[in-house]
Amino acid sequence: MDPRTSGLRAVSQYLKQSHERIFENNRKWVATKRQVDPDFFTKLAAGQKPEYLYIGCSDSRVPANEIMGLEAGEVFVHRNIANLVPTIDLNVMSVINYAVRHLQVKHIVVCGHYNCGGVQAALTPTDLGILNPWLRNIRDVYRLHEQELDGIKDDTARFNRLVELNVVESCRNIVKTAAVQQSYQDNQYPVVHGWVFDLKDGLLKDLHIDFEDMLKGIKKIYNLPTSATGSKDSC
Amino acid sequence: MTGSTDRFTAALERNKEWAAKVSKEQPELFPKLATGQQPEILWIGCSDSRCPETSLLGLNPGDVFVHRNIANVLHAGDLSSGAVVEYAVRHLLVNHIVLCGHTSCGGVAAAMGNKQLGILDPWLMPLRQIREQNLALLQSLSPEKAMLKLVELNVQEGVKMLKQKNVVLEAIHERGLQVHALIYDVGSGVLRELHTDETEEAIKARLTSFKTDI
Repeated sequence: MDPRTSGLRAVSQYLKQSHERIFENNRKWVATKRQVDPDFFTKLAAGQKPEYLYIGCSDSRVPANEIMGLEAGEVFVHRNIANLVPTIDLNVMSVINYAVRHLQVKHIVVCGHYNCGGVQAALTPTDLGILNPWLRNIRDVYRLHEQELDGIKDDTARFNRLVELNVVESCRNIVKTAAVQQSYQDNQYPVVHGWVFDLKDGLLKDLHIDFEDMLKGIKKIYNLPTSATGSKDSC
Repeated sequence: MTGSTDRFTAALERNKEWAAKVSKEQPELFPKLATGQQPEILWIGCSDSRCPETSLLGLNPGDVFVHRNIANVLHAGDLSSGAVVEYAVRHLLVNHIVLCGHTSCGGVAAAMGNKQLGILDPWLMPLRQIREQNLALLQSLSPEKAMLKLVELNVQEGVKMLKQKNVVLEAIHERGLQVHALIYDVGSGVLRELHTDETEEAIKARLTSFKTDI
């Protein structure tokens, strides 16, 4: 057998094992849940009523349910590269729309994390192909806060601050939606929060965004109090 | 809104408990995570709160790179999921891509109905296209079975689209990247794999049509 074939066979064998491990783990998880509450899955089958929408980074080190200590059924989740909320991204806008209009979530959390590869890439003059247009949103965040960021001399401190400001701008883009503005006007929810997760100790930091204040500021330009078509599904 | 604020504070409290527990049980984990990520799996699943990928896979922080959207739909032109696949396959070199649909999916139910849903309509368009292509089959089934069938067809269609991406095609042929179609049963918590066997001919046609070089 030539080395390439045997190498590929070894890889294939390894992949098979690591793949089977997943199903084994899944069975163990089901058994653990059932032990604590025999009706755990029966209840979930009846439907979902999550209080939270979590928008976070795809990064494997930041699993939403684990870091929030929440169970299956408690948090609706969207994760993309660098927890961005581009205003014309149909993907994230559909998630916000469904969570606010149909699930009536009470809180929307944007959670960034220090050492974010996406934010770091946006600070680097490297052409990353198809990733460029996505990551350019982070360069726009830099431009919006250029003066503050340029004033930070330490590279790590500036990187950390850009991670935080990227979360703030994602929150702002959520507040711009008709879904959030109209639901808040009618129900006093959802409230939008910004967090940053620290990989070094596993702790969440609340950026203490003043939601009322942010909403007031946004409404000056982005106010969308009623639908022109009578639709209750706008975003 | 005090009630909700309390619940919110509670989530932050639970994070402190979780971080303390992990630090105690696996003291090396957070220091290791701080140095970088090397996940083996890219998970593309639904935003549905009942499908928490890392928990139901019984895995740790650092193991699974994640994209979750409404009804785990993949659009060829969606930059968000496109960026996730590109980063996970080209830069993180994941060995598996898992596309996972689930039972009782609200997005699939919406696509089986005929109600206008605003911005969700364009997002759910691929589901309606699958519905149209398989209309006779879906109409021959009970509503519940038809829903499950559409969940399965959506995942199969998504896997097809993933394999049409050049970055994925290349990784399959050069380093054995695997793409899996999974269905998660929210009523039992159990994952099952769909078989996506292909003929030699289909694989060849895909390579001819989608393989591109620099």
